Parts: sequence; structure tokens; C-alpha cells
Amino acid sequence: MGGLIQNIKLIGADLPKLEALREKGRNSFLSQGLPTAKTEAWKYTRVRELADDDFVMEETCGSDCSKEHSSCCCQGKCALPFDAYEIHFCDGKLREDHFHLPEGVQALPLIDAVAENETTAFLNKSFEMQNFPFAALNTAYLEQGVFLRVESGVCLDKPLAFIHHSHGGVKRFANLRNIVVLETGAQATLIEVYQYSGEAKSEYCNNIVNEIFIGRQAVLRHYKIQSEALKAVHIALNAVKVRENGLYESFCRQKGANLARQETHVVLQESGAEAVVNAVYMMNGWATLDTTTDIEHLAQNTRSNQLVKGVVGGQAKGVFQGKIHIAPNAVQTEGYQLHKALLLSDEAEVDVKPELEIFADDVKCSHGATCGELDAEQLFYLQSRGIGAEEARQMLIEAFVDESFQMIKDDNIRHWMKSF
Amino acid sequence: MAKKPEIIDESGDKYKYGFVTNIESDTVPKGLNEDIIRLISHKKNEPAWLLEKRLAAYRFWLNMKEPTWAKLSYDKINYQDLFYYAAPKQKAAPKSLNEVDPALLDTYNKLGIPLKEQEVLAGVVAVDAVFDSVSVATTYRAKLAEQGIVFCSMSEAVKNHPDLVQKYLGSVVPYTDNFFACLNSAVFTDGSFVYIPKGVKCPMELSTYFRINAKNTGQFERTLIVADEGSYVSYLEGCTAPQRDENQLHAAIVEIVVLKDAEVKYSTVQNWYPGDKDGKGGVYNFVTKRAACRGDNAKVSWTQVETGSAVTWKYPSCILQGDNSCGEFYSVAITNNRQQADTGTKMIHIGKNTRSKIISKGISTGFSNQTYRGLVKVAPNAFNARNYSQCDSLLIGSTCGSHTVPYVENRCRSAVLEHEATTSKISDEQLFYCKQRGIGEEEAVSLIVNGFCKEVMQQLPMEFAIEAAKLINISLTGSIG
Repeated sequence: MGGLIQNIKLIGADLPKLEALREKGRNSFLSQGLPTAKTEAWKYTRVRELADDDFVMEETCGSDCSKEHSSCCCQGKCALPFDAYEIHFCDGKLREDHFHLPEGVQALPLIDAVAENETTAFLNKSFEMQNFPFAALNTAYLEQGVFLRVESGVCLDKPLAFIHHSHGGVKRFANLRNIVVLETGAQATLIEVYQYSGEAKSEYCNNIVNEIFIGRQAVLRHYKIQSEALKAVHIALNAVKVRENGLYESFCRQKGANLARQETHVVLQESGAEAVVNAVYMMNGWATLDTTTDIEHLAQNTRSNQLVKGVVGGQAKGVFQGKIHIAPNAVQTEGYQLHKALLLSDEAEVDVKPELEIFADDVKCSHGATCGELDAEQLFYLQSRGIGAEEARQMLIEAFVDESFQMIKDDNIRHWMKSF
Repeated sequence: MAKKPEIIDESGDKYKYGFVTNIESDTVPKGLNEDIIRLISHKKNEPAWLLEKRLAAYRFWLNMKEPTWAKLSYDKINYQDLFYYAAPKQKAAPKSLNEVDPALLDTYNKLGIPLKEQEVLAGVVAVDAVFDSVSVATTYRAKLAEQGIVFCSMSEAVKNHPDLVQKYLGSVVPYTDNFFACLNSAVFTDGSFVYIPKGVKCPMELSTYFRINAKNTGQFERTLIVADEGSYVSYLEGCTAPQRDENQLHAAIVEIVVLKDAEVKYSTVQNWYPGDKDGKGGVYNFVTKRAACRGDNAKVSWTQVETGSAVTWKYPSCILQGDNSCGEFYSVAITNNRQQADTGTKMIHIGKNTRSKIISKGISTGFSNQTYRGLVKVAPNAFNARNYSQCDSLLIGSTCGSHTVPYVENRCRSAVLEHEATTSKISDEQLFYCKQRGIGEEEAVSLIVNGFCKEVMQQLPMEFAIEAAKLINISLTGSIG
């Protein structure tokens, strides 16, 4: 089988630049290999499942194949409770070629965008492959994904949603690359949903890289729900670059998959740039859910804020690694980070590594991390008022994560994310 | 204010312990191999079991790699270019202070620990001074012996208390532990040994003074403290080295065994030569310190003030095995010029109701870089474990760096762990407030820094606290402007 580097036919073999990039990705991945316990960035998250060697990289077949997919998707299940511009993906493949989007928003399948030289300034420009083995692997299979550009000054009236459906069947390994560009003063809300419509125990792997470029004064609000099948693997990287006075605000809720990692790497390039990275993870069973953030403050007057909450039960393992890096001269910056975890069972585990790396003196930075179980006194208080033990537990858990959800400003989206 | 430039010029030469004592020393040839180890062992008249231990460690060390994970950059150490044994030459082991070389005693006087004076005056501290590789004199021994307390050099302990040494040496830090500990296990020359018998509260503070004098020597001392059931001891350690252009290596091990209901308080003021202001010279300080709370209700407390060394790599740790045992770590680290420090602690919670507390204060200035690196680990059965960690960093000037890398690994539901870290600079308001009241800028900075470190300084025994406060002021000179 040859591990995760398989010789399959990809669309766009006639584009020399793309082929060269894929080759680079292949070499970079082969030289790094899969991360092990010794890889500092993956210290707590084991990817043994992927070493099994039986994942299949699927070729994209002709047009009839996509038709077949469009029929199998249960439209009803994935409908959002609010109005949005929807783009659907099936098993990691784009389901349609044409999107109905308002004026000022350009969207193309990635391959077409590459062919039209739209991606030159963006493709693989937001991260270094040698630091991200899975992004290198993703580069080796560059093909599927969307290139999206919101033109200068355009404010999207409705959120834009990438909706992903995964089916069971073969142990499919899907690589997906999206590029989102917000030009000066543009504003948009991006929603990502990952769910399955096959067997709950389907095994598959989604390896997603989103490259996000936020222009001057532009604002992107990015919401994600990861609710993959119980045995699936989900690895995602959001590599974000923010320019002067731009804002990147994200919220990620993870609740599915057996192994999932959401990595957010934000570079605040110019003065006034701001990043807000919040997340909630809740799980049971044997899952490992990893939230990793890395915020780089490169310019003065930049701000970042992170609030991550986790609820871990069963034999699950929650991982949080957060890093705030402040470059020399990036003065008058503020970086805050808080991680709180709740352990519900005796076999659950939480591993935390919040990191500060500071090379400038005029900064305000802090991080906090706490870990504990439900407060017995609070439980007692509720029970003494006639609330059953289980119900009281649920109330306290809900109250615990609610602080994070309150960070979502849009009511519709907040309710939807909470109740998903 | 007018004086400031002068102070800045002096900054690199503020090391008042930079003198060299001209004492004939007895060294073994340069380099490291099995013969050298046999020679060291032979010179020290060691029993065969210890030589075997050394050789086993050396053979293991040959296959080890120097760790690179710390945020430190230094020139590669050539382990074959060092002397592994340097002892002040003497005819026979000294029986009393009168037999100790006067030049040597003079060195210690310069360092501020007048041994003779202490023996005469009613001092409160018993001192074991380690000069290069061997322990020179241990004061107050007779008085301690009355209570059954053993406080002597490691070489003597090997001779006089082999059963205790054999039982505990390497039991907390095995030679397989890490690169530098392994090297130390192979070549360690001397150090202090303390045994506090059951139920004894040590009536005075015990103290060791380390000094690297000879050129190109590595100092590999080894300290072992055993506190038997219900005992208590407070132990102090101080370090200095002469000013030299080349780097000196210091790779020590401190092992502490705390049995049921016992308590050990270990305080360090580390003031090895930090190198000059361009980062030339200075001591490479790679130290493994670990305490094991083996019995219930055992308590261990580490307090350190780190102002010296060009490179520091040091993580005093606590293994909390006994139920209700308690570990504490208080640290102040100050780096200036080109100093680098990667320091922190490990708290391993294994027993039930174990508690740990970490207070770390880092001050970086000049072109220095400092990292707090810590681990709090809670095993599945460490019910009701409790940890509180606080790491504060203060940056003075825009060319230094301060980093915090805590690891928290929790596998127990009922454990409550809290970690917080902040980084900031001295606020302009605080400075303004002081200056407004006629306090000079430099003085104001040291006042604020001392306030910032107060929580830790309070943990130090009295005479150490005064020395430490002075050291902090010395380290800070030239840091503003």
C-alpha cells in the first residue's frame, strides 16, 4: 500500500506549478513521517490509527460519480436552521462546480482557481510545511477544495457554509484545501460543519487545511462544528494571516471522531490586528480531542484572546496546547489565554501545555489553566433544592461550557452550535 | 542619573567572586574514559561497588545524546577537554580546620563564609565547603553527631556509612535518568551527605558551599540527603566560581529522600560566574535535583535564587509518593546580559491527597532569555491531589525574552489543578511613584523587583535572604537606561 503516499491520479496533472508543489509536499511529508511521541507538537496526541497502512486515497472520477454523490446526500439532515450560502462536500469532494453567491464574492473549485492563476499569492503561503506534517500531506494531494474571495468593502448578508458529509464504506482518506481571502474592509461569516451520514462506526479520515487571509480592516467570523463518526479521524489546520486592524474570530465545537485535532495558527502581521480563538470540546468513549493554537504577534498593538473549555468523560483524553508568541518590537500587545477542563470519570485524562514565548517588554500576557471535577458543593446546593443528581450534573456542565458559547455574538448561530 | 553610564560599563564586571586562588591542585589527566574513572575511584579509595556503579553509568552515557529540547543555545561541550578531578593538594585528610591550607581558608573568607570565625563564634550554620571536587571542611560535625546527625562529605560517607549510601544513592536519580545525571554518576567527585535519624529535628541549618576554582575543570558534585521518619532539616547551598574566559561545566545531582512525617527544606543561592557582558565565559550549569517523598505526610520544599551561570538547566522536582505528602517550589531567577536560563520544576503526584505549590518569578533584562518549564502530573490514583502554580515574569528592556512552558497532565478526576502565568514590565506608574519620592531610577527598579520576588524571598532562611537580596541588586545593575 505504501502508507499514506499512494500513487493515484489527481486532476490538474497538466499544471506544472501544481505538480511541483505536490512533489514538494510529498517529499516534506516523507522526510517528516507521521508524528510520534517525540514530536513536541504532537506530544499528547497519538496518531497510531493512521500508521495502520490501510487507508485509501480515492481518485476523483468523472461527472457521473459526482451525480451519484448528490443523490446519496440526505439534504434534510444537514440543513442549517438559518439562511446561508451553502457549499456541499461529499466524502471530501466538492459536490457542485457552480455556486450561487452574491456579487462581490468569487468562488471557484480550487483546481480551476489554480489554472486561472488566482491562487499564486495564497496557496501554501500561510504555513511552513516542515512544521505541519499533515499539511504537507495535504499539499501532496492538492486537488479538492474551494477558493473564495470576498472583494474589497463587501459585507456578506448571510453566512457562508461549507457542509461536509462523510459516508462509511472504505477507509477513505480525504484531503481538502480551502483558501479564503478577504480583501480590505470585507466582512464575512464562515461556517464549517463536519458530519457523517453513514454508519456511526465508519472509519475514515478527513485532513483539512484552510488558508485564510484577512485584509486591512476586514473581519472574518469562523464557526466550526466537528461531529464526525465515532471511529473517524479528523485533522484540521486553520492557517490565518491578519493584516492591519483586521479581525479573525473563531469558535470551534468538537464532539465527534475518535481522534481529532483542531490546530489554529494565526499570524498577526500588522498593527491593530486581532484574533479571538475560542473552542469547546466535549466527549466520552475513547476519543482523543486535541485543540492546538499558536498565535504569533509580529506587530505592535496586536491583541489575541483565547478561551477553551473541555468536558471529558469515559476513557477519553482531552488535549490543549496553546502558544502565544510575541516577536521583538511587537510592543503594546495583549495576549490572553484561558483553558478550563472538567473531568467526569475516573479514566478520563486531560493534558495541557499553554506556552508563552515573549521577546518584547511592553506587553500584557497571561495564561491560565485549570482542571478539576464538578464541585460537590454546587451539586449539593442544586440537589437540596429538589433537583435530581443527574439533572444537576447536566445543569452544571451546561453552565460550565456556556461561558464559551456566550462568546458567539450571533444569536442564531449560538443557539445552533449549542444545541447541535 | 548622571552616574548611569559608569554603572552600565561596570555591569559585566560586577562579579565579586571572580578571584582565583592559587592553590596547588592535584588533577587527573584531561579527558574521559574508563581509566580516568578508575583513577578517580582509586584516588578516593572507593569500594568496588561504587566503581562498578560508575563504570555502568559511563557505559550507558556513551550511548546517550545530549538533550536539545531546552530553549538554550551554547557552544558544544567537548567532554574530552575537561579535567574530571581537581583536588587541592594536601598531605592527608584534614582532621580539624587548623590543618586546612590557609590560602584556601582565605578564599572562603573572601566569599563571606569565615569558617574559623564560625567555629569560634556562636554561629547558627554548619558548613560543608566543596572546593572544585572535594569537600574541604565540615564544621560543627561533633555537635551534630551528638544527636546522631551525619553531615559529612560524600567520600567520607562512602567510607563511614556505606550501608546508607548504598541504599539511597541513585535511588531517586538513577544513572539512566538523563545525559547530565548519567555523566555525574560516572565521574562525581564529592559532595555532601546528610542523614537525619528518626524523630530528630536538626538544631541548625546545614550549609554547603560549592566553588569551582581550577581551570578547565568540571564540577560534578553529588548531594544526598536522607530524612528518616519524623525528622526535619533545613539545608542551604551556595555556589560561586572564578571569572574565566572559557566556560566551565557544572553537572551536579542532588537527591533527597524524605520518609514518613519528615520534612526537608532545601534552599539554593546559585551565583556561578555568569560570563561577561558579551556572553564570554561563564558556567554551564546542568543540574538534576529531585526529592522523593517516600512516606505519608512527608514534605519537601525547594527554594532557589538563580542569579548566576551563563546557561542554567535545572528542574528541582518532587515525587509525591506518600499519601498526604507535600511538595513546594519557590524560585526567583534573574538573568542579565547574555545569560540563558531554562528552569522550573516537576511535581509528580502519586499518593492520595498530595499537594504541591509552584511559585516562580523570572526577571529578564539585557539580552538574556529565560524559560520556565514545568510539569504537573497526576497519576490515576492520586485522589484529591491539589496543585497551584503561578509563574510571573518581568521583562526589563526590549531585547530580552521570557518564556513559559508548563505541562499539565491529569489522569485523576478528583484532582484540582490551577496554573496561571503572567508577563509584564515594570509599570511606568510604579516607577514614577518611586521617583517622585526622590528614589533614583535604579534603586526604584530594585525596590520593585524585590517586591515582585517577596513571596519567594520570604521562604529563604534569614542569612540567605539578605545575601539573595544583595545578589538581586548586583544582577540588576545596568539593566535600565
